Amino acid sequence: MTAAIETIGLGKQYRRTWALRGCTLAIPEGRVVGLVGPNGAGKTTLLGLAAGMLAPTCGTISVLGEPPAAGPAQLGRVGYVAQDTPAYARMRVADHLRLGAWLNPGWDGELAGRRVAQIGLDPKQRAGSLSGGQRAQLALTLALAKRPELLLLDEPVASLDPLARREFLRGLMEAVAEHNTSVVLSSHLVTDLERVCDYLIVLVASQVRIAGEVGELLASHRRLSGPRRDPGTLPAGQAVVEESHTDKQSTLLVRTDEPVLDPAWTVTPVGMEELVLAYMNPANDIPARRPRLGVAS
Amino acid sequence: MIRLTWLQFRTQAVTAAAALAAFAALLAATGPHLASLYAASGLSGCHGGGCQNLAGSFEAQVQSTGIDAALYVIGLGIILLAPAVIGLFWGAPLIARELETGTSALAWNQSVTRTRWLAVKLTVIGLTAMAVTEGLSLMQAWWAAPLGRAAGLGAPAGALIQGRFTQLIFASHGITPLGYAAFAFALGVTAGALIRRTIPAMAVTLAVFAALQIAMPLWIRPHFAPADRTVIATSPGNEAGGATGPGGDTLTLVATSLPGQPGAWILSSGPVNAAGQPVSTVPAACTASSIENNLPDFDGCLTSQGVREAISYQPASRYWPFQWAETALYLALALALVGYCFRRLNRRRS
Amino acid sequence: MIEFQLDETSGVATYLQLVQQVHQALRMGMLEPGDQLPTAQQVVAKLVINPNTVHKAYRELEREGLARARPGLGTFITRSPSGTDPATQARFLAAMTEWLRSARSAGLGPDDIEAIYRTAFRTCFSEGAA
Repeated sequence: MTAAIETIGLGKQYRRTWALRGCTLAIPEGRVVGLVGPNGAGKTTLLGLAAGMLAPTCGTISVLGEPPAAGPAQLGRVGYVAQDTPAYARMRVADHLRLGAWLNPGWDGELAGRRVAQIGLDPKQRAGSLSGGQRAQLALTLALAKRPELLLLDEPVASLDPLARREFLRGLMEAVAEHNTSVVLSSHLVTDLERVCDYLIVLVASQVRIAGEVGELLASHRRLSGPRRDPGTLPAGQAVVEESHTDKQSTLLVRTDEPVLDPAWTVTPVGMEELVLAYMNPANDIPARRPRLGVAS
Repeated sequence: MIRLTWLQFRTQAVTAAAALAAFAALLAATGPHLASLYAASGLSGCHGGGCQNLAGSFEAQVQSTGIDAALYVIGLGIILLAPAVIGLFWGAPLIARELETGTSALAWNQSVTRTRWLAVKLTVIGLTAMAVTEGLSLMQAWWAAPLGRAAGLGAPAGALIQGRFTQLIFASHGITPLGYAAFAFALGVTAGALIRRTIPAMAVTLAVFAALQIAMPLWIRPHFAPADRTVIATSPGNEAGGATGPGGDTLTLVATSLPGQPGAWILSSGPVNAAGQPVSTVPAACTASSIENNLPDFDGCLTSQGVREAISYQPASRYWPFQWAETALYLALALALVGYCFRRLNRRRS
Repeated sequence: MIEFQLDETSGVATYLQLVQQVHQALRMGMLEPGDQLPTAQQVVAKLVINPNTVHKAYRELEREGLARARPGLGTFITRSPSGTDPATQARFLAAMTEWLRSARSAGLGPDDIEAIYRTAFRTCFSEGAA
C-alpha cells in the first residue's frame, strides 16, 4: 500500500527555532489521521509542508508519491484547509464555488452545490458575514469538491462551538465514507479525534513522540498499578511511558508487545485520551525499549 | 484563471473605468471650446515665423478663461499620478492582501501553480494598467492639441505652452506613461511580496516610485546621450537674474529657448566670459543699468563686456530616441522586479 | 433497518459495540436473515465515526458468518447468531412481559424486579451449562 505521506528526517527551521525536527513518518492511505499536540508543537508546520505551502529546511517529504505541490495535477489530488479556514471576505459563497470550478479540472460542481444546500449556506452571502462554523463548512466544501485523494485540515474545528464541530466532522466522515479519502486532521481536542481517527500522531515540541494505528496503540499500552516498585525492575520488553508513585503504590503506563504476566500488577487497558495525554506530557521521556531508571516522586 | 483575476479585480476595474469615463466626458465637453478658440485666433492658416504674435495672443486668451488652464494642469497631474495610484492600489495589495488575510492558503492550493497564478494576474492587470495610463495620456493630448500646435508655431513659453521635451510634458505624453505604469505596478507587487502587508507596501511603493520619478529628469534622463553645447549672445528673451550681495550683484542667465533649436530641452545655461569661463557676478561696468531699469541696455552692456551665454541642451531630434530609451528602461526594471517576484513566490520560506 | 447507538463511556471499542448491537437485534428479532445493514455512509452520518470502524464491524460479522457483503448492493444478514429462531425468542419475550406486568401490579418496584432478576440470572448461569 502506498503511503499517503512519507517523510524522512523532515525538518523546518525559522530563523533560530526549529518548528519541526527529525520527523520520520509513513502514513498509510485510506486513514483518518489525528495529529495531536499542544499549541506551537509543529502541527501547522507539518501540514504546511505536506500541502506545499512551506519548503523543508532538511529532510524529504513526499505526498501521494510526489513532492508536495509538484504541479497542477498533484495540487488537485491534495485538499488543504488552513487554520482559521480563510475565505475571501468580500466574495460571495457562489463566487468561491466558481473559483473552485475555474481553478480545478477535477471539480465536482454537483457535490459542491449539494453540500452548500445541505449546510444551509446562502450562495449570495458574502463570506465575511458567515459565522465561524459556516466558514469552516465552506472551506471544507471547497476542499472536498475538487475530489482530493488526501485532505489536510489544520485545526478546522478549534474555534467552533460543539454543535458546529459535530456538523463539520459529520460532513467530513460522510465524504470519507463516500470517496475513501485519506485525511490528516490536526487538533488539540482529543475527544473529537477519538470518534473519527484510526491513526494517531502525537507531536510535542517539534518532534514526533509516537505514531501508529489507533487499534495497535491501544492494544500495546497498558496501565499497571500495584505496590511501589522501581520501574527498572520491569522486563526489557515493557517500556515505561509515564509513571507516578506514592509511598506505597506505583502506577505505570507501559508500552509492551507481550502480555503482562506479573501477578503483582493490576493491568487495565488505556483509553485514547489517557494515551495522548501521557505522550503529550513533556515530563515523560519517549520510551526506548529499555525501561527508564530513576524515580520521580 | 483569467476569470478569477477579473472577479477579484472587479472593483478596481470599475473604479478605473469610471474615472476614465469621467475624465473623457470632461475633456469632450471642453475640447471643442478650446478648438474654437484656436480657430478664432487665426493660427490655423498661419505658417512660418510670423505667427508668434498670434500664437502668443491665443495663449493669453486660454490663460484668461481660467477653466481651460486649470483643466490643462489637472489633466497633466492626473497622468503623472496615475502610475503611482496604480502601483499603490493595484500592485501593492496583489500578493500582500492574500498573505495578510491568509487567503493565499486558499488560492495557492487549487490546481494552479503559483507561477501561473501570478503570471496571469500580472499580465491582465499590468496590461490594463498600461492601457489606462496611456489612455489618459492620449485623451489629454487630443484635448491639448491646439496648445501643442501653438507651441510649435512659436508661442512664447509659459505655463500652458511647454515644449514636449520639457520634464512634465515628456513624462505625460508619448510612450513613457506605459513604462511608468508597468514599473509602478511591478514595484507595488514586489513590495507587497517582500513586506507581506498592504499598507506598509503601499508606503514603500510610493516612496520608491516618487524618488525615481524625481531622479529621472534631474539626473538620469539628461545623460541618455551626451549633451550638445553652444555659446550664444545674451538676449532680452533670456532672463538675467541678479541679487545684491557682498562683492557685487550675482548674475544668472536662464535660457528658456534656444534660437535655431526649437523644441530643444535646455539642460543648463549660465554666463561665461570671452574666454569661456563661468561668470558669477555682474561686471562692474554694468551694475548701473540694472535689470529693472532697462533690459536691452543691460544686455548690450553684458555683450560689450564679453559676457555670453553657455547652454547645454538636447536637440529636439532626440525626443523620440529618449522616449524609447526611458520607456525601455522602465520596462526593463519592471521585468526585473517581476522576475524577482516569481522567484520569491516559489521559495516558500514561510 | 437497525439504527446503531454509540456509548462513549462504556470503554468498549466502537466496532465491537456495533457488532454487539447486531447480535442483540438478531436475538430480539429486529433483524432477520436477508435484512440489509445500514451502509457505512448512513452509520457515519448518524454517529459521526470513522467509516473504517463500520467496515471493521461488518468484517467481524462476516467472519462470524452472520453477514455477507454483496459488492455494489450492501451488507446483508445471512443467519441468526444462536440456534434459536426468532419465533422462540418472541415467545419468551411475551412471557417475560407478562411476568413483569404481574410483578408490577403486585407492588414490586423497578429496583426490586431488577434485584430478583439478577439473583435468578446468577443462580442459573453459575450452575454450569449456559
